[in-house]
Amino acid sequence: MASAGSRGKRRVIPGFGISLGFTIVYLGLIVLIPLAGLVLRSAGLGWSELYRIATDLRTVNAIWLSVWTAFIAATINVPFGVLVAWVMVRYRFPGRRILDAAVDLPFALPTAVAGIALTALYAPNGWVGAYLEEWGIKAAYTPLGIVIALTFIGLPFVVRTVQPLMEDIDKEVEEAAATLGAGRFQTVRRVILPAILPAVITGFALAFARAIGEYGSVVFIAGNIPYVSEIAPLLIIIRLEEYNYAGATTVATLMLLISFTLLIVINAIQAMTRRRYGSG
Amino acid sequence: MRISIRNVTKQFDRFPALGGVSLEIGSGELVALLGPSGSGKTTLLRSIAGLEHPSSGQILFDGEDVSNLSVGQRRIGFAFQSYALFRHMTVLSNVSFGLKVRPRKTRPSRAEIRARALELLDLVQLGGLEGRFPSQLSGGQRQRVALARALAIEPRVLLLDEPFGALDAKVRKELRRWLRQLHDRLGLTTIFVTHDQEEALELADRVVVMNKGEIEQAGTPVEVYDDPATAFVSEFLGTVNTFQTTLNDGIAEVLGTEFPVADADPGEGPQRRHGPAIAYVRTHEIELLSRERAEGIPAIVRAVFPFGGAIRVELAVEGYDMPIQVEVPRAFFEAGEVQVNSGLFIRATNARVFPQYN
Repeated sequence: MASAGSRGKRRVIPGFGISLGFTIVYLGLIVLIPLAGLVLRSAGLGWSELYRIATDLRTVNAIWLSVWTAFIAATINVPFGVLVAWVMVRYRFPGRRILDAAVDLPFALPTAVAGIALTALYAPNGWVGAYLEEWGIKAAYTPLGIVIALTFIGLPFVVRTVQPLMEDIDKEVEEAAATLGAGRFQTVRRVILPAILPAVITGFALAFARAIGEYGSVVFIAGNIPYVSEIAPLLIIIRLEEYNYAGATTVATLMLLISFTLLIVINAIQAMTRRRYGSG
Repeated sequence: MRISIRNVTKQFDRFPALGGVSLEIGSGELVALLGPSGSGKTTLLRSIAGLEHPSSGQILFDGEDVSNLSVGQRRIGFAFQSYALFRHMTVLSNVSFGLKVRPRKTRPSRAEIRARALELLDLVQLGGLEGRFPSQLSGGQRQRVALARALAIEPRVLLLDEPFGALDAKVRKELRRWLRQLHDRLGLTTIFVTHDQEEALELADRVVVMNKGEIEQAGTPVEVYDDPATAFVSEFLGTVNTFQTTLNDGIAEVLGTEFPVADADPGEGPQRRHGPAIAYVRTHEIELLSRERAEGIPAIVRAVFPFGGAIRVELAVEGYDMPIQVEVPRAFFEAGEVQVNSGLFIRATNARVFPQYN
């Protein structure tokens, strides 16, 4: 018999206190303290200095480039990621497991390796780049190259979030649509896509967040021309190499703010769709 | 609408799910496909719907062969066991789905679709809930949304797969009665699949008992219950006691009484009149006799379940391994003779005897 005082608080699942405590300490050490240090460091600069660095044209261009290329890459990954997930969930074909494993490669591969491979492929003398060159399109060493690299690393996020939800769609739901006279296209558009929408939004958010901070795969293909194809994470490294810690932390803090705001907005959209669809 | 099923077979890989099923269903009939799981009843229902394509045989709607029509073209209303509601749509959108996806030429106006859906929701007694999402409804309500959705396309036949399978006992009974009323009102040919004999017997005009991909018997509930055509039907319907016995010139002894062997299906040829047989005796077909009369077979009461109008009694009889289940009228029980461990005599008043082949 436990003491009378604790009876009202008893839970079915034990260890709430210790596991919450661990979670907070862990998140604190790994995530919050480093980020807080970052903010503190840049806050030490004073407002005017902060403002000067933040509105510096090179900083603004780099951050803007990072945001819009990440956004486009994540957007591209939505239809293609959904398609890849669809193929793997719906069809049984030889090599499906290999394809399934290949989706995770961007997770596993050192990003620098991916960057070098993509550069070799898309450079004007590369396999794909040569063709693009004929069409007058320059991929490597331009923002287009950045988008390609970010699309590459973002793909698994969309596929892996959409896939389980797609597997969950009851075959009977599609059959129901068919008995009601809906064609395949109508079934996909009106029944399947809305059902996976929450996962698509999550996948988009993850791919986007990952792409904003991506460094390794981009620096090789981007060409890193200031004001044109220089991404924010690279600018941070450059500032660090110049021993300009204040500049580096300011750019980092700005990126942190932008990422955080975007994630909050996406979470809000997601909460809205969840509520609409009744369940998570 | 009349439905004719002619010699339909269905193979799943190498496993036969339907082995040559033929059945006529009259217009406006309410038919139950009854059988244990794996009996092929759902496969038959899905074949009628066009969700499954038979390996051979024909399915005719009003004399017209629909074997080559797709599900959408057959105009059937199908209610799934899992309800298969569209989770992301309101009740109203679910019900109007079938009308909204029609090609522009035959699609009613938006106002008409809405009016029709609301009318159907009233019909299934869900008026006022049109703005809810499926997750906000109870099981019984979801089932009725599924029905309204199926009815919206003005189907020629209503097909229901285990319509009450996922509901609790009380809701089940209510919904069963309600479905019967709805059927009588709409006059729509309705076929439903169930493994629950009580449901089939109470609700259907005709019960089709299936086993191992074949029809064992089709008939009115009274016919299949009182006159089971096969050993399987005898064992499957009602609560039965099973006895091993021996046929002697077409007569077998069961619990001290002699019964003739059941009529053979005329298609099966001459029936064996000698040798091992199996007898099925329902729980109410055994009589308990008081000690004074000293007739029948002596038995000892092992357990009594004194609930309801008929009391269930378990008895042990020498020579039988399984306890014998008997139902006795409450009045007999109240007379005080049925006590645990007391001795009685029992006698079978009816039995169905089938020769045992194997």
